[in-house]
Amino acid sequence: MREIAGYLPDIGKEKFETKILTFQGKDGAIEAEIPLLNEKQMDMVIAKVKKASNETLKSFSSAEIVQIIDEAIERLLDRRSPYRQKAEKLLPIVTGYNEEIVRLGLTSYLKTFRKHELQRFLVEDLGNPLLLDDFQPRVTGGYSKAVGPELITHIWAGNVPALPLWSLISGLLVKAGNIGKVASAEPFFAGWFAQVLVEIEPRLADCFAVVWWKGGDEEREFSLFSQSGVVVGYGGNQSLQFLQSRIPITTRFLPFGHKISFGILSESSLDSRKAWQSVHQAALDVIRYDQQGCYSPHLFYVQRGGKVSPREVARMMANELENYQKRFPRRPLSMEESASLSSWRQKEEMGIFDHPNKEVLGNSANDWTVVYEENNIHFTPSCLNRVVKVMPFENIEEILSLVAPHRHLLQTIGMAANPKELFDWAESLGKVGVTRITALGKMTSPEAGWHHDGRFNLLDLVNMVDIESAAEESSERFAPYVD
Amino acid sequence: MDQQQVIMENVLQFMQKDHLEEEDFNEQALRLYSYQYQFNLPYQAFCRQRGKTPRMVKAWRDIPAVPVNAFKEVALSCTDPEKAEAVFMTSGTTKGIRGKHYHPNLHIYDRSMILNFKQRFMGNIEKVRMGVLFPTEKEMPNSSLAHYLALAVKEFGKEGSGYLMNESGVDMDRLLDELNRAEETGEPYALIGASYSFVHVLEELERRGKTFSLPKGSRILDTGGFKNQSKELELNDFYDLLSSSLGVSRTECINMYGMTELSTQFYDDGNESIPAVKSGPHWIRTRVIHPLTGEEMPKGERGVLVHCDLGNFNSVTTILTEDIGIELESGFLLLGRVQGAEAKGCSITLAEFLKAAKEPLK
Repeated sequence: MREIAGYLPDIGKEKFETKILTFQGKDGAIEAEIPLLNEKQMDMVIAKVKKASNETLKSFSSAEIVQIIDEAIERLLDRRSPYRQKAEKLLPIVTGYNEEIVRLGLTSYLKTFRKHELQRFLVEDLGNPLLLDDFQPRVTGGYSKAVGPELITHIWAGNVPALPLWSLISGLLVKAGNIGKVASAEPFFAGWFAQVLVEIEPRLADCFAVVWWKGGDEEREFSLFSQSGVVVGYGGNQSLQFLQSRIPITTRFLPFGHKISFGILSESSLDSRKAWQSVHQAALDVIRYDQQGCYSPHLFYVQRGGKVSPREVARMMANELENYQKRFPRRPLSMEESASLSSWRQKEEMGIFDHPNKEVLGNSANDWTVVYEENNIHFTPSCLNRVVKVMPFENIEEILSLVAPHRHLLQTIGMAANPKELFDWAESLGKVGVTRITALGKMTSPEAGWHHDGRFNLLDLVNMVDIESAAEESSERFAPYVD
Repeated sequence: MDQQQVIMENVLQFMQKDHLEEEDFNEQALRLYSYQYQFNLPYQAFCRQRGKTPRMVKAWRDIPAVPVNAFKEVALSCTDPEKAEAVFMTSGTTKGIRGKHYHPNLHIYDRSMILNFKQRFMGNIEKVRMGVLFPTEKEMPNSSLAHYLALAVKEFGKEGSGYLMNESGVDMDRLLDELNRAEETGEPYALIGASYSFVHVLEELERRGKTFSLPKGSRILDTGGFKNQSKELELNDFYDLLSSSLGVSRTECINMYGMTELSTQFYDDGNESIPAVKSGPHWIRTRVIHPLTGEEMPKGERGVLVHCDLGNFNSVTTILTEDIGIELESGFLLLGRVQGAEAKGCSITLAEFLKAAKEPLK
């Protein structure tokens, strides 16, 4: 079957090319047909979106925008709505993830964009959300207003479903026009969201576009970026570097690179009852999207000295992953992914010869792998797709010295620890580059208003416009009512 | 005779056979397997972990395949690795750790190469004047390819054959002399060497605006792919260029596929169409498996190549590669090497991490 992807504002009766992306699921293929604009058409879209951003979007109050997004999210949360049904049907085929994982993932993700969460989002970054609507008095005198750019360009990446929503919603909240380039690994969700928004508020029809082009198209990218106020880019450092080289100095670039996250289990979490719960939650973080997210754990450091040993934790983890495999099987892997996974696992197995204390646990189909290692604890990424390492540690300093050299790559820690440890360790982990600490089981569901890679969602998008108190005082002299 | 000599004698006899029953290969493979299980201790541990002891292994297809990566981790040898006559090493990229293949002596390696090269590259000529586009054995004592090429010159090279290299790479002046000479004398000429050296040659010929038309019977052997050492070329363009710049038809351009971890090479019968079917002599067999389950893929479907090389008498016969291919009636298609899968999501991949660790962000 063929499904239209993307979204275009009204640019008249233009004939445009489309690109067909094919996804092979186990019960048939889906073709995504997505607009592929030429340069002239792209310029028309840019002009249209900018105009609508200035004339329409900026005339809405932020409370109104929140209301519209809330309604859209409500429809996407409603399992009876056609868009939700389409998402539940198509996304598992497109991304390969298990249907239940997609369904549960969508719900837990979407609910972070409900009205109250969006308000939190606004307060978190701006303090006073009215800053987006009007000049607000400042404590130190004068007034300020937060003004979103005319146009934000988003370069989305990856196959984690619905990921584009973070930056698109942020863009809308600051009343910017938005043009998003979808990833060929998941080209649908952003376009559906745009359509739902327009169904709810037709006046938004020209405020955004969702398109695709082949990455690396230098001329097209340069032209678009030079007309954008902000470019938000997702991807590996290499592709971000390429993007950056095409962005003029006058355009703000917000790059979100690939990251590595991990778990830490303190001995205080390791009595026989609690350990089981912690490991159960940790395994959940592993199976959600098969570790493809930047917040997904690659490895777990387990403190020695608890009632349950690190080695036992590894075995419990193996057990949990096997159980999850039955309920939520891993997505089918490509031959390349399969080969690199099995080569990774075999290399680990060969290491047992030199380190008899090491254990490599897995089933015969290689659905998951847990490696336990204690001789030489280290910090390297997993090959993903339900492969984790468990390693013991004595004190937090050991972990800090391992991860510190990789500060630019660190993101989330899933932690099972007592309150004192939580704050003490957070303090030192923050110093070496970690930007998010959460509970095990929550690693893949960041809370509303989180600071993605330590940054602000909205503040980084806007410019503050100040009216200094001198200007206000001086204006009084020219008032018609002046005596 | 000690056990190693007996085993080597067996293998040599096997390689000389011109008639082969299915059972013969099996028998020889299983004999090597129990020898290696007994004397190659890391391999024994590896087999035990898989529950594949000689009692359980009934056919060559059951012999546990050792991943190529293992050659980086442990010394896979039935004899003291310290006493090996030759140690061939992989070029090794990540972390600079190189896989090592120990050869207590090179009798079998050399015999395997000679018999096979004669049949697959030399065709019906005894000797040919050769030019080598690769460093010498002396310069690269741990390179199996350097040894292979040296052997080719020694066994099959006419007088005047030699290396066309200098400190900075291909010695273009000498190469041009040789090519001119061949054109003038009408004597067939063979250029053999690394694929990336040929790319440099092609670029240089283009820059100088030179083309040649080598005499009939001339041939080319390239091997190893481009390995980031030169501009990556599409295979089709590569053979087109080779053919048009040197006047050797694509059917006379043979690609050799070899691995440091093996003692036997595969060849195609020219590269008229891409990818060309590769095959080896009767003492090596290839299976195509699914990397996760280890099960054989149906003929015609993509999988990972496993080679069982009876020439590997001292290390392990059966190697699990990281090469993707398809099994056909007449051999297999090599579709390329797994370079570490690309990132699907926004989590970092191993390859990217290693790259970042090597070149810290400025």
